[in-house]
Amino acid sequence: MLKVIKDRMIMLVFVIFGVSIITFMISNIIPGDPARMIVGQRASQETYEKVREQLGLNDPLFVQYFNYIKGIFTGDLGTSIRTQQPVMNDLFTYFPATLELVVFAFIIAIFFGIIIGVITAVYNNTKIDYIGRIFSISGVSTPVFLSGLLLILFFYGKLGWLPSSGRLDLTIARPDKITGFYTIDSLIAGDFNTFKNAISHLLLPAIALSYVQLSAITRQVRSSMIDILNQDFIRTAKANGISNLTLIFRYGLRNALIPTVTVIGVSFGSLLGGAVITEIVFNWPGMGKYVVDSIGNLDFPAIMGFTIFIAVGYVLINLVVDLLYLVLDPQIRE
Amino acid sequence: MRNRFLIIFMLLILVLSACSSNNDSETSLSDGATDESSTASDALTVSIPAEAGTLDPGVSMDNASWKITHPAYERLVEYDGEKTTVKPGIAKEWDISDDGLTYTFYLEEGHQFSDGSEVDAEAVKFTFERIIQIEKGPSSLYEIIKNIEVIDDYTVEFELENEFPPFISTLAASYGSIVNPKVLDFEEDGDLGQNYLSVNTMGSGIYQLEEYEQGQYYKLTVNPNSNVEPELKTVIFQIASDTAGARMRLEKGEVDIVEGIPTDQIESLKEMEGIKIEESPSLLVDYVYMNIGKGQDAMKNKEFRQAVNYAIDYDSIISQIMEGYAKQFKGPVPEGLWGHNPDLDMYTFDTDKAKELLEQSGFTDVTLDLLYSDNRPYWEELALMLQSNLSEIGINVKLNKVAYATMREQIDVGEFDLSLGVWSPDYGDPFMFMNYWFDSENWGLAGNRSFYENEQVDKLIREAASISDQAEREALYNEAQEIIVDDAVYIHLAQKDFIVPMRDNVKGFVYNPMLEGIYNLAEMSK
Amino acid sequence: METKAIELKQPAEWKIKWYRFRKNPLTLIGGFVLILFIIMAAFAPLLTPYEPDSIDMSNRLASPSAAHWFGTDEVGRDIFTRVIYGARLSLGMGISVVVVTGLIGTIIGATAGYFGGKFGQIIMRIMDVILAFPTLVLAMALTAALGPSLFNAMLAIAIVKIPVFVRLARSETLVVRERLYVKAAKTFGLSDIWIIFRHVIPNVITPVIIQITIDLGDVILLIATLGFLGLGAQPPTPEWGAMIHTGWEYFLNQWWYATFPGLFIFLASVSFNLLGDGLRDLLDPKSLK
Repeated sequence: MLKVIKDRMIMLVFVIFGVSIITFMISNIIPGDPARMIVGQRASQETYEKVREQLGLNDPLFVQYFNYIKGIFTGDLGTSIRTQQPVMNDLFTYFPATLELVVFAFIIAIFFGIIIGVITAVYNNTKIDYIGRIFSISGVSTPVFLSGLLLILFFYGKLGWLPSSGRLDLTIARPDKITGFYTIDSLIAGDFNTFKNAISHLLLPAIALSYVQLSAITRQVRSSMIDILNQDFIRTAKANGISNLTLIFRYGLRNALIPTVTVIGVSFGSLLGGAVITEIVFNWPGMGKYVVDSIGNLDFPAIMGFTIFIAVGYVLINLVVDLLYLVLDPQIRE
Repeated sequence: MRNRFLIIFMLLILVLSACSSNNDSETSLSDGATDESSTASDALTVSIPAEAGTLDPGVSMDNASWKITHPAYERLVEYDGEKTTVKPGIAKEWDISDDGLTYTFYLEEGHQFSDGSEVDAEAVKFTFERIIQIEKGPSSLYEIIKNIEVIDDYTVEFELENEFPPFISTLAASYGSIVNPKVLDFEEDGDLGQNYLSVNTMGSGIYQLEEYEQGQYYKLTVNPNSNVEPELKTVIFQIASDTAGARMRLEKGEVDIVEGIPTDQIESLKEMEGIKIEESPSLLVDYVYMNIGKGQDAMKNKEFRQAVNYAIDYDSIISQIMEGYAKQFKGPVPEGLWGHNPDLDMYTFDTDKAKELLEQSGFTDVTLDLLYSDNRPYWEELALMLQSNLSEIGINVKLNKVAYATMREQIDVGEFDLSLGVWSPDYGDPFMFMNYWFDSENWGLAGNRSFYENEQVDKLIREAASISDQAEREALYNEAQEIIVDDAVYIHLAQKDFIVPMRDNVKGFVYNPMLEGIYNLAEMSK
Repeated sequence: METKAIELKQPAEWKIKWYRFRKNPLTLIGGFVLILFIIMAAFAPLLTPYEPDSIDMSNRLASPSAAHWFGTDEVGRDIFTRVIYGARLSLGMGISVVVVTGLIGTIIGATAGYFGGKFGQIIMRIMDVILAFPTLVLAMALTAALGPSLFNAMLAIAIVKIPVFVRLARSETLVVRERLYVKAAKTFGLSDIWIIFRHVIPNVITPVIIQITIDLGDVILLIATLGFLGLGAQPPTPEWGAMIHTGWEYFLNQWWYATFPGLFIFLASVSFNLLGDGLRDLLDPKSLK
């Protein structure tokens, strides 16, 4: 287990260096002068020179890079050109919103992924199997921006059941920040109305986002389920008259879930990526929206910071998945 | 499509039941909340397409930020209703010395910052010295201030380096907002409180910024120390980049005013019950920059530029792309601002004449690039239209769409042949058009975006900026305008109307062309 | 004797696979729709009555009619024409990106696998770094840095996709490397490059081709997504994602503008995924048991 952690940590250092070198180099080649962007169009030459000096833009490139790397390891990702705030602060402001959305979507995806996976496996090669598979394949084939827009149009525009954007109605006060999850924070505060409102805001974006990952989970559950249902011990159990449901859930699913853990881990990462588009469509105030706004403004400190943040998060998730896998499957541990 | 809806619908039902919460109460809850927001007559919600940058009036040069801060601050003088002239603000009266170098302001007593401290001469002095020290955008306007002297608590004197007639007008713009000197309590690393003010307000305006949730909204409430009791007690600026969603929210009455809706949709919104379109003539103008100084050789040729000007189908652009909410931009100074010259012989759509001039110029086989971005939704259409217009006379246009920040950079250094652009003045003086746009010292983003240089024009407009007599200035500007029009420095496309859709129960909005996109919240009601 | 036995078994195995492939109706549907798309893309100029870029201001935002099957957009361009050309663009770009990436990835992977050692290690570490990102995020960051354009979007997607092929080719190569004929070639003193291209790559190419098909749907979606974000194809290029981006603004009054490109993205992607799913089952050794 220590080895796994060690490997991932080495990986992390690699990732940070790799990513920072790439983004740093490119950000210095492309047009767009950060000093000019900060001082604005009508500022004088002296003002502009002074800001360049402050930002260290007159230093040799490698000095700038060294300073940047030094910053990363002390938690300083520079200052955003657009918001004029430290990038780290910005990311931590937006991160809980993204995470809440992703976690919620993740739960939906796993829940339905497993159900559909089991059903399609049990009814392998029947009409039910085909419908289930088409449903899950439709998910991976529909870009979030399309399914999201349709959901808004229908559930907000036509029916008016669910809100179209944001995390809470504007008239509702934001719960005190404890975890940054509005759902959890409002429960802690005992404010059930706010909780319900937060859930109603979460539903549409989370559904749109989870739909994409449904297919990967369904596919994995289905194939390992089919595998296991064909194995001797299941057949024996069947012959011994153990009921179908017990069989599926008690023996089948439990074993089928082990290989699924990896897929689920990967899909959590993909959800983080998909969240970017979901946030744009649903006007969700998370990191994805932050980075897209930053891209439009060529706000490189923010873009680089976001990229590194996500990469580190991704490696850590993989670490958790690895560890989970070890725990679940004792065979590998030896 | 229907089937997909059905599937998604079924999925939702499953989720709802899985969450085991009561579906009815949940949805009625969100409905109830929205009803409340739309009926509460003392709350206004404005949907804005993007987050504003820094809110510090000593730093920002952006209308999107002024929209939020303008009501939170007061200025020495203020724009008067919908006029481009100024009226007393904090200063109840003022004197200008005969040589135009000394301005003395007599402040009205009783103005208080939101923390209860008095707005006095020291605060005024502090504000402008802070701007100059910060050295960002607004400082370039106030560098002409040589000295500020506090005569007594309510009298302050400005001494200028040289005569600058628009000075009084600049004080009514948002960068003239008087800031509470106590901002220094929030100073970090000698930033004069820039960091704090970028997300807070410290002014004496009728409102103050109570809450700012990044990426979500800005919430203004009434300044407890203001003497004015406005009808609107809460104003929320909701940040919503999903314009289609924002439009749906307007239709449902969830928000009261929506910005950023494409002009194409105004007509259909107009017919909708409960929605009205506020429209008024503005000083918001559309240009095409023609890179004379740094573009390709053809751009340096006067006949060629005139040919381009004659090739544009102004009427179609206005009737189709701008849906009639505009008129042709006639002259370097737009209609509605003094200095506008209605007798100028402007270019019209005349393909034959354009071809003739093109022939004369000798540049018959030319490909120009046209720079634009997605900053304005209609730029795409405009670019395609110009491309097709110019191809009529045999000029090829290559579209070059880039990120807005890149576009600004390229305009600044002159890497383009043609570029789309807009402008709206911050203060009511032709200086904003003539001196910014044609002085050869302002090449690039500073204002002269066609990289134009004409000694005679330079001389005329500089002289006009250095004297105070309005009639004399107007004569000088007129002379310069004749030359400029003949030189075909820009394509003067259109002078647009200000249009914004809002719920029809919103009353009292008055548009001032100097305060583009800024609401007179204190006089508005629902 | 032993090799002969394997040769005898091989065709039978493929027969079973082909049989299974044909038996799966979903895969067949996917393949069929895909062929339609390819025909559409190939004959785009013949199928469309208009030019994709010709504007007609007097006829803007017209609803679907006999003259304009899918209606027109905000400058009067025919949406049917643009959607068909969009198919050409998406399939063309998608296929070229995946094929080029597949080839480069195979060469890198084969080389890394063949030489192994430190060299192989370094290559795989670099690939791990790339894999340490959600694909969309990396593609976004890269296009943002390089500047939004179709070419840069393709470049970004290629970089994001390379590790998949490198890993695949490497693991196959590790097996091939130990085969007798490779060892024989080595003892005959043939150059490494020759061996890689003559013996290793031909033997790893089959799974790579299948992987290419599986990835195509994903790549087409990525192109559309970047287009939607304004980071991919730039207007007036008729790209589906970019069309939806603009069309959505008009959705409440002109439903056709966003609907048709959306429908086509969906159909193209579904058919690739159905086909890919079928192929994946074939690749999965377990499914043969």
